[in-house]
Amino acid sequence: MSSLSYLVSRLLQIIPTFLLVMVVIFLLVRMLPGDPAIAMADAKATEAQLELIRQKLGLNEPLVMQFFYFVKNTLSGDMGTSILLKAPVLDVIIERIPVTAFLTLYAVCLSILIAGPLAFVAALNKNRGLDIAIRSGFQVGLSTPVFYIGLLLLTFLAASLRLFPVGGYGTTFLQHLHHLMLPALTVALYTSAIIMRNLRSAVIEVLDADYVQFARSKGLSRSVILGRHVLRNALISTVTLLGLSIGNLMSGTLVTETVFAVPGLGRLMLEAIFARDYPLIQGLTLTFAVMVSLVFLFTDMVQAWLDPRLRLS
Amino acid sequence: MKTLLIAALAGVSMLAINSAQAVERGGTLTFARYDDSNLVDPVYADRNPDIWMVTNLYDTLLRTKADGKTIVPGLASGYEVSADGKTISITLRDGIKFSDGSAITPADVKFSLERATNPDFGPWSGLLGSVESITATDNGVTLAMKNPDPTIISILATFNTAIVSKAAFDAAPGATDQEKATALFAPGTPVSGPFTLKDRSRGSTMTFSANPHYWRQGEDGKPLPYLDEVSFVVIPDDATRILKLQAGEVNGAEFVPFSRVAELKADPAINMELYPSTRIIYSPINSRETRADGSPNPMATKEARQALNYAINKDALVQLITHGTGKSMTSPLMASTTQLAHDGGPLYPYDVAKAKELAAASGLEGAEITLTTLAGSSDDATLFAAIQQMWGAIGVNVKVEQVDNPTRGAKNRSGEFDIHTYGWVNDVNDPAQVAGWLGYYPTRKAVGTGWNNAEFNSLFEASNTEIDPEKRSEQYKRMQEIYADAAPLLFLYETPFAVALSANVNGYLQTPLGNNEFSSAWIAK
Amino acid sequence: MTQLDTLQASTPQKKKLHPRVKALLRPGFLLGFFILSSSILLAVFPWAFAPYDPNAFDFNAIQKSPSWAHPFGTDNLGRDTLSRVIWAYQVDMQIAFFATFFAMVIGVVVGSLVAYHGGIADVLFGRLVDVTITFPFLVLVIAVVAVLGPGLTNMYVAVTLVQWVYYARLTRAEIMTQMTSDYASAGRVMGYSSTRIIFRHLLPNATTPLITYWMTDMALAILLGSSLGYLGLGAQPPQAEWGVLIAEGRNFITTAWWMSLMPGIAIVVTGLGFSLVGDSLADVLRPRGAS
Repeated sequence: MSSLSYLVSRLLQIIPTFLLVMVVIFLLVRMLPGDPAIAMADAKATEAQLELIRQKLGLNEPLVMQFFYFVKNTLSGDMGTSILLKAPVLDVIIERIPVTAFLTLYAVCLSILIAGPLAFVAALNKNRGLDIAIRSGFQVGLSTPVFYIGLLLLTFLAASLRLFPVGGYGTTFLQHLHHLMLPALTVALYTSAIIMRNLRSAVIEVLDADYVQFARSKGLSRSVILGRHVLRNALISTVTLLGLSIGNLMSGTLVTETVFAVPGLGRLMLEAIFARDYPLIQGLTLTFAVMVSLVFLFTDMVQAWLDPRLRLS
Repeated sequence: MKTLLIAALAGVSMLAINSAQAVERGGTLTFARYDDSNLVDPVYADRNPDIWMVTNLYDTLLRTKADGKTIVPGLASGYEVSADGKTISITLRDGIKFSDGSAITPADVKFSLERATNPDFGPWSGLLGSVESITATDNGVTLAMKNPDPTIISILATFNTAIVSKAAFDAAPGATDQEKATALFAPGTPVSGPFTLKDRSRGSTMTFSANPHYWRQGEDGKPLPYLDEVSFVVIPDDATRILKLQAGEVNGAEFVPFSRVAELKADPAINMELYPSTRIIYSPINSRETRADGSPNPMATKEARQALNYAINKDALVQLITHGTGKSMTSPLMASTTQLAHDGGPLYPYDVAKAKELAAASGLEGAEITLTTLAGSSDDATLFAAIQQMWGAIGVNVKVEQVDNPTRGAKNRSGEFDIHTYGWVNDVNDPAQVAGWLGYYPTRKAVGTGWNNAEFNSLFEASNTEIDPEKRSEQYKRMQEIYADAAPLLFLYETPFAVALSANVNGYLQTPLGNNEFSSAWIAK
Repeated sequence: MTQLDTLQASTPQKKKLHPRVKALLRPGFLLGFFILSSSILLAVFPWAFAPYDPNAFDFNAIQKSPSWAHPFGTDNLGRDTLSRVIWAYQVDMQIAFFATFFAMVIGVVVGSLVAYHGGIADVLFGRLVDVTITFPFLVLVIAVVAVLGPGLTNMYVAVTLVQWVYYARLTRAEIMTQMTSDYASAGRVMGYSSTRIIFRHLLPNATTPLITYWMTDMALAILLGSSLGYLGLGAQPPQAEWGVLIAEGRNFITTAWWMSLMPGIAIVVTGLGFSLVGDSLADVLRPRGAS
């Protein structure tokens, strides 16, 4: 019951935020310079054809009315027609969501798989060679732009060694896993560095804590202690961190999907930007905002479930 | 080991050459494109990735041979133009069918041509502005013309007059013709071209499969196409597209950057093709008396514009930007592959002395000119850097202004530019389209330059109804002379279409208009 | 540059190694400091170090692999890659500064005012933070760049418009923890103006996390700037910027690898410099008592 009311109050909080999000997106898109009609039409189009497009888009209406229509249409699932793809924006986005969602989830899994073991190794070898090597490695990784890592992986692992396909998405689940391995790895690097850093200090903290010293003095083995005390705490903070880095992960997919020719939302966003496809830019920005909010919400739920104290505050 | 591998590859390519006589059927050709098709329909296709695919799905009454100039029969077995040029009778080929096996009838042809002439449908109806009415006959259609039109035969060989199925349009869901056309760009639609659409995932992939009822015969005496399927993947990034080809994941990649041509030519596993095109790269010069902000325009005189042209070393640009694959323009109005192009020798050969003289005489010296380029385009960046050096020699300062494509288009329309980069490929097999675009003021202010020459305009109008080929050719020659002399453009260079294919792919063609022709393509096993 | 001043100020007292000085002598900090100071030197005096004009074509030296004449090789137009990488320091170090500095100033001012005055302003600010973090950072920045048009100045504006919120949030949080402290209430009792309390008492105590965040942010700004340059939305060719250079070399990554590798290394090394210095400063500036 209490978790249900928590969920409801959390959902209610989202509404005003989202209204503001809509305002930001609407204003942003209305401020796009130039005439959307010219962006939509071919260079060869005549003035009369341009006017026709302006009327169809409702560009001659007052701003407030345009915002009202925007909210109303969006709520009823009508996000307009993409200039670039000449198809309903909602259809286009729905087609692409699974790709980006797959990539993001894949990246999350990979970053946990990478960061987890390395964090434990680093913590157990605190300030020794292995620890310093692992931390320096991540430090260098964090100083490398995502597009550059992608480029290197693409060139060496895909094009030269042919271990992975050069971009694309594939059609079956296994193909997705194979095609998206390098892009997911690229996106995962940033989050795995953060998770590693956090897990490492969490492990160190637990190892140094009095009750652990006590437990050890009682003769409990280190792995049992780690399993019992570290994992639970680490899980909560890792979930929090992952939730907070969702914006970062999504930013990563923007660049990575472009480098690896993955047909997801990020690549579409850049294509829309270059084509000044404003209904699509509008729809995509909103989609990204919705996805981030959902992840925030989900993170809160998981946290509340893992740590009941949070529900009370 | 390495030499062995090369020897093996050489062996493979030898085999490919030896088997060039005997075509092989079957297989799927995977082709990496730079952009996806949104709506492949004869009348609504308005972007190159759409236009260039139309004739794979929809056949035209007449066809253009690979040279881009000769017209041969297509779905029509022949046509006849009356002596006064006002009636055109077209006879359909016997036994032609749509991909669902139903017959292609005169009613379908009439329906298709009426769509093509309807000014409410798509941007191309103007090409058929001279058509008064279309009537179906027993074995074809008759066009009644408002006036004689020298371009009409070329237009009947152009994508916008391709034949669609009337029955399919009647049955398609949608209130308007455009909605129906959109609904019909889907698997299962009966088509008249060599391929049918098998499936498609917007913005990423598209598959064509062979139309079993296509009429044209291959070299082996059986109907085309040779391939079972063509599978397209959309990869906007140039480098990734090529990597995919090099990794053997695709059989072909279009729009190879010219900087990569030499490298790919040297690769024995890859067949690097440079198809002649009607593509020209030029830059409109604002030729109005004043700039958009009201200040005097230093480029208003033709001497000033000539000076700018003389000061550009086109051969250097061809080397720098096209890596030797392009060539400088010889006709001001069109590429040398276009019909009626008058080869007047290289335009404005590099001549700094003459440029200086003209610049001094026209008061161009010391002028500051803004070159508007496309943001993110490395070709434009190179062009700017080169032009800045070249014009420095005649005392002209160049600034750069980088904008995106829609902004550049808007500036072209409003005249708020000095000079901006641009390019063109003909959509139609007749010079009227490009001449109208570049020089005829009423179309679009002579590509937005504001250049308005009464003699040119009237010659252009006259040439559009002139059915004597000799006289029309004369008119075109004169128009080209006027245009070259007035120089409302920087005449830069022509480029080919660069397509890289795996060595075992044969018979693929990109026409001078850009159309991707897969009907005669085949893969050696 | 403030962190460098504090650093010099603290070096003279050498007799007994103060723990802060000791932190400054760690190899991580020394390496970071060396990288940053050389980067600044290269950015301010590129002409003194670059052997060639970064934009001069040389058709006799097209895509030459690294040699004594061209240690980083040449590009497809015969330009010297080393000189282009060096001149790019000017652009990218500028990005590190301009893409972060104004955001920090605005953020600090707004954040402190909101924290000090609270009330409706604070509530509104909370909403603004909610909205900002709801967008992935890059999505918002790119959307703003789309509005303003591609280019460096517009990129600064876009990043500042988004990033100041994060600085303000940090400042607000820091100040909120100070607000309850004795000297803040004492100041109020003594009738000091809010400006004086904020800038003389509250803000100085918030500098540590701010400076640490700023250093990290500068490293991130270089990554962001080069990413936008690579995508064609940031610095524009022919201007030498690392992301632009990598984009130019992208097509030749298998044949002329040096074109994209050398600017890539420059990004990594400079980014590393910022984060090493940032991490060490965090240790040094940490309030006494905390370990």
